[in-house]
Amino acid sequence: MSVAHDGPTADAGASVDDNETTLRERVAANPRPALLWLLGVGVLFALEMGRFAGGIRSIGAATGFVIGGVAVGPSWVEGNVAGTLGPIAGDIAFVLTAVLLLLLVAVPVRAVLPVSLVKTVGLERSSETDDFLEQVLVAAGVGAVAVLVVATPVGALVDALVAAITSVLDALSSLPTITSREVIPNQGHRLPSGGWDDTFLGLSPAAAWAIRVAVVYAYAFIALAWAWIGYRIFREHYREADWTPRDDSVNRFRNHYWGILGLVIVFSFVVMAMWAPALGPTTAEENLFSPYENEFEYLDGNEVVTVSHGTANLNSRSQGGDDTIGPMSYDDYNRWAPFGTNQDGKDLFTFLVFGARTSLVISLTAIGLATSIALGMSLITAYYKGVIDVLTVITSDTIISVPAFLMVLLLSVVFQEANHPIAAVYDGGLLLALIFAFVYWPGLWRSIRGPSLQVAEQEWVDAAKSYGQSPFQTMRKHMTPYIAGYIMIYASLLLGGIIIATAALSFLGLGVNPPTPEWGRMVSEGRSYISTQSWHIATIPGVFIVFVVMGFNALGDGIRDAIDPESNVGNGDTATTGGGA
Amino acid sequence: MSRWRYFIKRVLLSIPVLFLVMSLIFIILRMGPLDPVAALLGPESSGAQTAQIREQLGLNEPLWRQYLDFMWGLLTFDLGQSWVIQPGRTTNELLVSYAPRTLWLGFWSVLLPLFIGIPLGFYAGLNPNSWGDYVASFGGIVWLAMPNFWLAIMALAILRRTDGGGLFGFDWYTIGPNVDSLIGPPPTNFIGITDWASVAGMAIPAGFYFDFSLFLVAAKVILPPAIVLGSASMASELRIGRTAVLETINSNYVETARAKGLSERVIVWKHVFRNALIPLVPIITNEAFLLIGGSVIVEVIFGINGIGSLFFNAAYQADLPLAGSLIFIFTLIIIFMNIIQDLLYTVLDPRVGYDQ
Repeated sequence: MSVAHDGPTADAGASVDDNETTLRERVAANPRPALLWLLGVGVLFALEMGRFAGGIRSIGAATGFVIGGVAVGPSWVEGNVAGTLGPIAGDIAFVLTAVLLLLLVAVPVRAVLPVSLVKTVGLERSSETDDFLEQVLVAAGVGAVAVLVVATPVGALVDALVAAITSVLDALSSLPTITSREVIPNQGHRLPSGGWDDTFLGLSPAAAWAIRVAVVYAYAFIALAWAWIGYRIFREHYREADWTPRDDSVNRFRNHYWGILGLVIVFSFVVMAMWAPALGPTTAEENLFSPYENEFEYLDGNEVVTVSHGTANLNSRSQGGDDTIGPMSYDDYNRWAPFGTNQDGKDLFTFLVFGARTSLVISLTAIGLATSIALGMSLITAYYKGVIDVLTVITSDTIISVPAFLMVLLLSVVFQEANHPIAAVYDGGLLLALIFAFVYWPGLWRSIRGPSLQVAEQEWVDAAKSYGQSPFQTMRKHMTPYIAGYIMIYASLLLGGIIIATAALSFLGLGVNPPTPEWGRMVSEGRSYISTQSWHIATIPGVFIVFVVMGFNALGDGIRDAIDPESNVGNGDTATTGGGA
Repeated sequence: MSRWRYFIKRVLLSIPVLFLVMSLIFIILRMGPLDPVAALLGPESSGAQTAQIREQLGLNEPLWRQYLDFMWGLLTFDLGQSWVIQPGRTTNELLVSYAPRTLWLGFWSVLLPLFIGIPLGFYAGLNPNSWGDYVASFGGIVWLAMPNFWLAIMALAILRRTDGGGLFGFDWYTIGPNVDSLIGPPPTNFIGITDWASVAGMAIPAGFYFDFSLFLVAAKVILPPAIVLGSASMASELRIGRTAVLETINSNYVETARAKGLSERVIVWKHVFRNALIPLVPIITNEAFLLIGGSVIVEVIFGINGIGSLFFNAAYQADLPLAGSLIFIFTLIIIFMNIIQDLLYTVLDPRVGYDQ
């Protein structure tokens, strides 16, 4: 295994060499390629401004939700502890949890903080204590801000600011975008004279829908290509070094057709999840969630009539008979159903694209949490070794020893039966993501333990230590870049496993509850119709799962061969198959 | 560190792990958000009944006392009883009556991948970059990505279609021994003990019977679920087998053997295959994980009432004491399998323990 590559890159040496210039100066010296590229970015951004604004808004809402959840943590623990051990223990638990949370929150805050508080205050001692002091100071700062927001009028000011930003984003997100349903509408009805009304250019709904899907994918792939071109421009014109070890990895990946196929499948899946509202032939709100509150027009005989989606769905059900609405067909109400309808008459394609969103949100949340825990633990255990390493080995062995799928099943039953508030978020999706993170981090940690122990032995880590770098800085700058590649391999492989496990749980009637769409639930609902005319209900979601999981596996293989062509990591790993679900 | 010291260290490490697993189950069941009694009885339970069950489960004791009782119960295999699914039957009774079907399923789903996956992988490795290799490798990749639950319902649908000789020219219901339904438990009474003899105070089975036609029925019924359950292992055995053969066939000692003029047959069978089997050991032992997780789904879909579906029903109907005990048993099996894996490694591969 070649360790010497991919170590600290230019940023570590930047402070040493005085001849180096900043990226800004280099761009200023030769602005043409950068400007051209930025112009392209601007055009791409302007075309989809509304959607970006909407995306930022929902990310903001999610952040607010997480902050709210974290803030409730201490009092929640207090309530639990006070219930069993008495009020004083409850108070102590409250303080302890609050301190712990503050220290945790301080980690990301520190990473973005430009200055070292310890140095500013002038408290420097040895690098080890400095690190801890810094953490405490940042935590105290965060705590002070929190108290300020909660207990003083500053809170109201913050609220007003957030409200103002939200309203601006709302206004922006209502702007039409090139991929929106309003620009290329496909929901129309036949005219008595022939032809179609209300559709894009009077085309048939099928054609209009196909054009919109093509536009969405064209836009997404052009954006991806533009990002790649941006990287090439950076590499050619603005990067200081002519060559870095990472270039070799990138080049190897470019020639890895299997990995590229995986990337394309994964990217298509992500696009499907992100543009779900635009891709469906009908919207989730009117077709899936509240069909009786939304109406549309269709041609009945010779006159145009209004009917609610719910009523129309009742007559478009695919329940095995000859009146099944199969893939690529219209129902009796002039509605185009690319993948047919399900047993309730709802549009299967709309269900699938929103199901992709559910899968992606759950698996990304889970994998994000699991990889951060695994990465943090692997850095700490590789750096300090000793007792903390042994403790982590025992903890991870414990969690690994319990069969993962059974553990997930039991935990989701325990939380759902008790109507725990977490189980209500996203119809159980958040709960599932948290459980997956808890169950799968030890496997990830195990997989990257070898590389982290190796990198901790390197001279450059020793050098960083003796140079007086704090442990936190050493881990962040000199160890993480090396481990990050490995964690990407395993994360990609594990993502497929989590998607399968989510689907399997929903198939069994646990996991994600209705009405949130989930692929596994659709497989379960269409199960009894497989050998009938309505074979498509269970088959198509299953094929989707197979493709997506295959894509993530292929991408993982590609990254592995790009980073370390010699190694065999990830081959037939049990973690990759979702515990046999 | 010598090999055996490494092995003993691994075995010793499994003791705290076992205790932590037991504690984890305790925390989930007794300190989790779900009140065990409310879960057992549902919302409309009478006061007297609640009090009685609380007493029987020992929920009125202080928490530390409950913990000690719980741990002692697990350690002495006093695993409590079922409250909802089969009220009054002890977990041990249930295990004895449900386990044979799961064992039968597990036996076939380990065996089938071994005899399909490894030969295919070795074939692909011996003929790299041929069409056979591409088909086998690609098939393995797709096979690995297929979720068991989907594969299971697809297999059922296809087999059902063969009724009356329809789709593929054979009728699954009548090929070999007749079966009435695709779903349902296999008969496990094809082998049994008829007679017990007492030797030095211990009962030792003296007489057996073996019903061959019933054995065939049991094998046929278990075949589709076993293939589904073994699918993931089959695919990973194929992949690892292929890589291992490719690595060994290009190694120096195979060169040497070839230079000595050994026949290709001897080289392949004696030098390549034996060494290529080493990396397959963890894959085969790791199947325990896959089988235990997957047995839940496969047993539920194929209607085999083994421990997997027992666990699912226990969890689904909130029979938590039973579900907790079953998870403990599963964990014991896995810890035991891990020790066996370490033992096999220690015996087979002299390099173990040196790079740790």
